[in-house]
Parts: sequence; structure tokens; C-alpha cells
Amino acid sequence: MLAMNLADIPLFSMLRGRLGYLGERQKLIAQNVANSETPGYKPQDLKPYSFDAQVRSVQLTAAGAPARTQAAHMAGTVSRSTSSAGIKAIRTKDSETTLDGNSVVLEEQMMKMSEARMAYDAAVGFYQKSLNLLRTAARPPGRG
Amino acid sequence: MPEIKTTQGAAQAIAASALRAQQARMRVIAENLANANSTSREAGGDPYRRQVAIFEPAKIDAGQGVRMSRVEADPSEFRTEYEPGHPSADAQGYVKLPNVNTLVEAMDMREAQRAYEANLNVIETARSMEMRVLDLLKR
Repeated sequence: MLAMNLADIPLFSMLRGRLGYLGERQKLIAQNVANSETPGYKPQDLKPYSFDAQVRSVQLTAAGAPARTQAAHMAGTVSRSTSSAGIKAIRTKDSETTLDGNSVVLEEQMMKMSEARMAYDAAVGFYQKSLNLLRTAARPPGRG
Repeated sequence: MPEIKTTQGAAQAIAASALRAQQARMRVIAENLANANSTSREAGGDPYRRQVAIFEPAKIDAGQGVRMSRVEADPSEFRTEYEPGHPSADAQGYVKLPNVNTLVEAMDMREAQRAYEANLNVIETARSMEMRVLDLLKR
């Protein structure tokens, strides 16, 4: 029997990475908004999501799968840590810094938040569609 | 408190810490406004001194939340008014009044309100993102 792991399909593992990235970004934005009046606080954001880096990390892990030298060996699965690949928090000051050294501008953070939310919705929608595709393929022929 | 594992949960916990901090700040502002005219009990003594809320980052669920670390007194000078008949007036007939400016307090209150709303917004967004994922289970 062949055990199927959704994460083995590059599309799904990449979407998962994307969701992880957006969730992490949302957390950082929550941090910035919470500290919008803390003296000396500098806002953080994640480095822009790079599709290339994601593709590369997926290919890399696929190449690093254990080799099967005997037919009885089980195919090893390499856990793909795409959720944390290429995600790094960096300090990104907003357009203004107040006298107390705080550079959070609430409006800009709100913009970022709705941006992240829309991208998240899109990724989840795409995940859903891909799942449906698999489901269609798995359905026995001749039935609804 | 239960352990929070999802990033969305962490985002909500962080925003909730900010709600608490802003709430505490509102309490300080209310104190200032309520005592805007509180003079000293004894003649020539110091009246109520304005309080200022100080925030600092606080670690919450692997993230940086915020908390009101302390409340400090505003060292600026008191207002004085010439009113010889007042029980708190000094020998020259001057009464010291608190260094509270109601206009400044009103501004501060507006700011606290704005920050509070922004954090509520964050919670709402984080919640809807989480729900979106849970919706995957429905179909």
C-alpha cells in the first residue's frame, strides 16, 4: 500500500509554506500594533516572500531523500520544513518616527494586515481547489 | 492560561495584551481628569500631580506583546492662581493647582482609543483567518 502524504506534492507543500509565511507575518503585525505607543519600539516585518526560494527549497529536499538500496526498504520521506524556509524577520521602519523613538504608523500596519489577510484567503482558496482536484481524481468512475 | 500554538492564536494573545495596556492607560487618564482641580489639604501644600503611563514590550507566547510597566509622575510645574480666600492658599494668597491640562488628556484619550480599535481589528482579522482554514474541514 502506498501511503500518501499531501506534503509530498510540491504544490501543497508550497501552499503550506505560503500559509506559514502569512501567518507569521500576521503575528509580527500584531506585535507592531500592540507596541504602537511603546517608546523606542521599531516595527518588524518579514522579508518579501520569494517564489524562487520556495521552489528551490522544495527541489533541494526532494533530492535529499534517502536512497533505497533494497526492494524491502521503505521509501523515506523527508520532512519539508517549507513553513520556515526563507522566513526572516527584519526591522522595517514606517514612514514616521515620533519623538519617543517609536516608528510604528498604525495606518500602514493596518494596510499590511489587510494585505496579508487577502493573500491568506487566496492561498487557502487555492489549497481548497487543489484538494477538490485530488478528490475528483480519487473518485471511482461512474459515480456522481 | 491554555497553551497557544497557532500563529493566529499568538497574534490574538499579543493584541489582547495591548488591549489590557490601553485599558490601564485609560484608567490613568481618567484619574488625571478627575483630579484636574484637586488642591492640597493644607495651606500652601502641593496639589495632585499628573500621572503618565509608561509602556514596555513584554514577552507573550514567543512574541512581543506590550504592558504598562509603571506609572510616573509628571515633573512639570503646577499652575497657580491668586485666591486668598481659598483654604489651600499660601501666605501670599496663591493656590497651587494640579499640572493637568484637560486638552492634553483629551488628546491622550483619543490616542488610546485609536490604538484600542486597531488592536481589536487585529484580533478580528486573525480570527477570520483561522476560521478560513477551519472551513477546509467542512467540505
